[in-house]
Amino acid sequence: MDNRILANNMADLYREAARRYKSLPAFATRRKKLEWDPVSFEELYERGLNLATGLIEMGVDAREHVGLFADNRFEWILADCAVQLCGAVDVPRGRDITDGELIYIINHAEIRVTFVENETLLERIESLRPELPELQQIILLESTGDTSEGVHKHEDVIKLGQSLRKQGDTRAEERIAGIQPDDLFTLIYTSGTTGKPKGVMLTHANMMSQVKVIPIELNCTDRVLSILPIWHIFERVFEVFTISCGVCTYYSNIRFLADDLKNVEPTFMGSAPRLWESLYHKIRKRVGESHWMRQLLFHTAYFLSRQYMNSLYFLLGSDLKLKEVSKLKRTLLLPLHALRWILVLPVYGFFNVAVLEPVRLSAGGSLKATISGGGALPVEIDRFFNYIGIPVLEGYGMTETSPVIAVREEDDIVIGTVGPLVDHTEVRIVDLESGKTLYPNPELPDNGRGLRGEIYVKGPQVMKGYYKDDEQTAKTIQGSWLRTGDLGMITFNDCLKILGRSKSTVVLLSGENLEPEPIEMRLTQSVYIDHCILVGQDKKHVGALIVPSLEGFKDNGLHVPTLEELSKNENAQKVIRTEIKKMISISNGFKSFELVKDFRLLSEDFTVGDELTSLFKMKRHIIHDKYSGLIEEMYQQESAEVT
Amino acid sequence: MEFPTQLLYPIDQVLLALMIFSIMFGMGSSLTVDDFKTVARYPRGILIGFLSQFGLMPLFALGLAVVLELPPAYAIALILIGCLPGGTTSNMFAYFARGSVALSIAMTTASTVMALMMMPLLLELYTAGFTEAVSEEMTAAGADAEFVIPTGNIITSLFLVLVPVAMGMFLRAKSRVWAKTAEDTAGFMGIIVIIYLIGTAFARHSGLMLQTPGSIYIAAICVGLLGFLFGYWMSWLFRLSPIFQRAISLETGIQNGPIAFAIILLSFAEPVQSQMLWLAILYSTFIVITSSFITLYYRRVGKLDYEVYKNTSIHNRLFGEDYVTGYPEGFLPKRIKNDPSQGSTPSQKRD
Repeated sequence: MDNRILANNMADLYREAARRYKSLPAFATRRKKLEWDPVSFEELYERGLNLATGLIEMGVDAREHVGLFADNRFEWILADCAVQLCGAVDVPRGRDITDGELIYIINHAEIRVTFVENETLLERIESLRPELPELQQIILLESTGDTSEGVHKHEDVIKLGQSLRKQGDTRAEERIAGIQPDDLFTLIYTSGTTGKPKGVMLTHANMMSQVKVIPIELNCTDRVLSILPIWHIFERVFEVFTISCGVCTYYSNIRFLADDLKNVEPTFMGSAPRLWESLYHKIRKRVGESHWMRQLLFHTAYFLSRQYMNSLYFLLGSDLKLKEVSKLKRTLLLPLHALRWILVLPVYGFFNVAVLEPVRLSAGGSLKATISGGGALPVEIDRFFNYIGIPVLEGYGMTETSPVIAVREEDDIVIGTVGPLVDHTEVRIVDLESGKTLYPNPELPDNGRGLRGEIYVKGPQVMKGYYKDDEQTAKTIQGSWLRTGDLGMITFNDCLKILGRSKSTVVLLSGENLEPEPIEMRLTQSVYIDHCILVGQDKKHVGALIVPSLEGFKDNGLHVPTLEELSKNENAQKVIRTEIKKMISISNGFKSFELVKDFRLLSEDFTVGDELTSLFKMKRHIIHDKYSGLIEEMYQQESAEVT
Repeated sequence: MEFPTQLLYPIDQVLLALMIFSIMFGMGSSLTVDDFKTVARYPRGILIGFLSQFGLMPLFALGLAVVLELPPAYAIALILIGCLPGGTTSNMFAYFARGSVALSIAMTTASTVMALMMMPLLLELYTAGFTEAVSEEMTAAGADAEFVIPTGNIITSLFLVLVPVAMGMFLRAKSRVWAKTAEDTAGFMGIIVIIYLIGTAFARHSGLMLQTPGSIYIAAICVGLLGFLFGYWMSWLFRLSPIFQRAISLETGIQNGPIAFAIILLSFAEPVQSQMLWLAILYSTFIVITSSFITLYYRRVGKLDYEVYKNTSIHNRLFGEDYVTGYPEGFLPKRIKNDPSQGSTPSQKRD
């Protein structure tokens, strides 16, 4: 029974949701542990219309860019609703935005009117006023005292709109009727990978296509707990989707998460890998501290569940298929898996009920499934949740694709992949060196499945382009294909597997985006270092692989004949360690997540053609592949040290 | 069908006694004084449950015994099973069947206490015809004793069984964590011992399964199934909400097997004891299987109404007792009324 609302644009969606879901709660805000304030779909739309009319009265034009600088709260949605209802475009960012970004975004997006969460942020903007010539009006979402010239409380704007509408003002309705599918609904600035932030232009049609294809079924008895930053596209698409399904979203945050999981008992939740990791550690810790009898029960249950699930995945054809497996082998294995499945079923049934259910209760107990995005989920954590019976639907996407490209489906989870592509979406796997399409390519065996390359995407979710940046747009969108900059392959059961990034950006486990080049450049300025490559994709912190300089050490009195010996030399290790500490420090302007925590010295130089291009640029994925063992060892050793 | 030797060796009897003790202890460990108060909160549900447990079930047992023309010892065992109070496993099944766990626990609690009075009375009433038949058999076999239902012994055994329950409750009042561990351990041990007993029964009395006439299997399986079916209909007839219907249905069909074992071991002697035990073992085995299937079925059909109930009660928990959730027209099926009082029932007990 799928009853999601399919609308033409965001404003239509808000209106239709109010018409269909009426007094059902749409959003709930926490006051105390057991005291939450609900706002219904009708109320949201009504207040949104009033605020929109107020905005129009203040001079906001259709298609104008309106700033929205706030974190998760009901007023955020209200502001978004109002901006959509007056046919404008919002430019969202959270409170953690830096001064530099504020100046850049407000000026670049030509923002004249902006919503600001509170007085602290207002003060920061006021102090930057001289550099914001075009900014005219500010609307405060949370205010205590009086406001100065050009600053309004959002309640006042609502009141203004309300009285106008009472007098028969229908400008908002007219604006709604004028929205075209190709109009922007939001302009999201991604925190810059190379220097300036880029404004991703997403249209109503982009977002509405996502609502249509998300392969998840929710209805108005569901509850969604929201903890990710709402201005991030991953959370945003979720809120839009929940509105279309009549689901109530409960705003929580990391601090109250444990309580809220228990009291709200969410049926669905989206989060970044970090949350799953911390939940995983919490559960493991609780099991570890429990009575030995219970530990034994848990381990037995987990073991059985693993056997059961693996056979089930095999029988359903949902095991990870990176290579072609012969039909004969599969046919031979089939009865074995069927036998194991049947044998384990009754015992698993008992343990699932008696042991795993209480574990699931620690995550609220009502979770039907969860979705993970915004980074790769470590595979052991992925397995853990799926084995204990909380299906994790890992998805893949980016702001530029608003965002979902692929996501696992609840009844067909292939661990290790991000699931099949969503409907109406096409993918190409393109060889990095030759630029040749590997998939789909009928000339290659199996149409090119199982081959790795850069992922190109085509579909209704692909952005219009980067705002006022034709150069970047042309680089990213070629023809109708968007280059994701990520490496991947199509598995033999037609799922997408992400293998890393072809772009150099390193995304740490915490979700921080790290640009390695500046740090590497700095380090190679050291006389002791010839080459240096940063690693740490999906890891806790940054590490480095370093080719030490024989010359440099010789010049400074350490005579070693070969790199091999030098890489094992303890003195050299010590010298490089102090060198790194000296060069990459917070006092030198590096952020704490950019600090290089560990390194390994390589015993071989990089050579052109192998690790280096003819222009001496490092081929990152080749180096990663070659030294993957060393990298793993570096991180494993550390986790052993920490625990 | 004859039992060449005793069905259970002394070691098995010790194990069985241990199992009974730990299961009843585990049952006590899951109980609090609040559960007794809950009984008062669901008078209608409890009353209907009482009617189906002590009214319908013994009748079904008697009916099956007569229709299937069971040998008298089996007939008595079947009626004994029909008169038992609800078992603790019913709470777990009710939970997974998306039924009201609170009602299930309240019913188990109430029926266990009531059993002290109801069981002897019902047994006296329904077994009258069969005791004579047993006596005749015994006389024919040369014994000069007359077989009567040992009412006094039964009451004593019931009291004995309630001792570990009281001990468990005491533990629960002292330490929640230990009580939880005791509860799980008991559930686990129960399964192990049952599997062991069935296994040894197989090994030692190979052929026993084959020798057992079909009618006895039918009786052991059907008594539970009829309980599920009529428990559901009865509560449907009284217009209880679906989550209560599912709880009452399971509670009616699932009887407290360990109490049956205790009574048979403590109050009956050979030649009837082994036959009675065999039926109790068969019932205990099949009820786990049938209730698993019923639970899976209820889980499916009860999905929507349970989610509505759950969502409504969470709204009441977070937005205030008088918050009324207004589902869109046509969303709720006819049978589920959008009744705010549905949400004000205490949320499902399970920690």
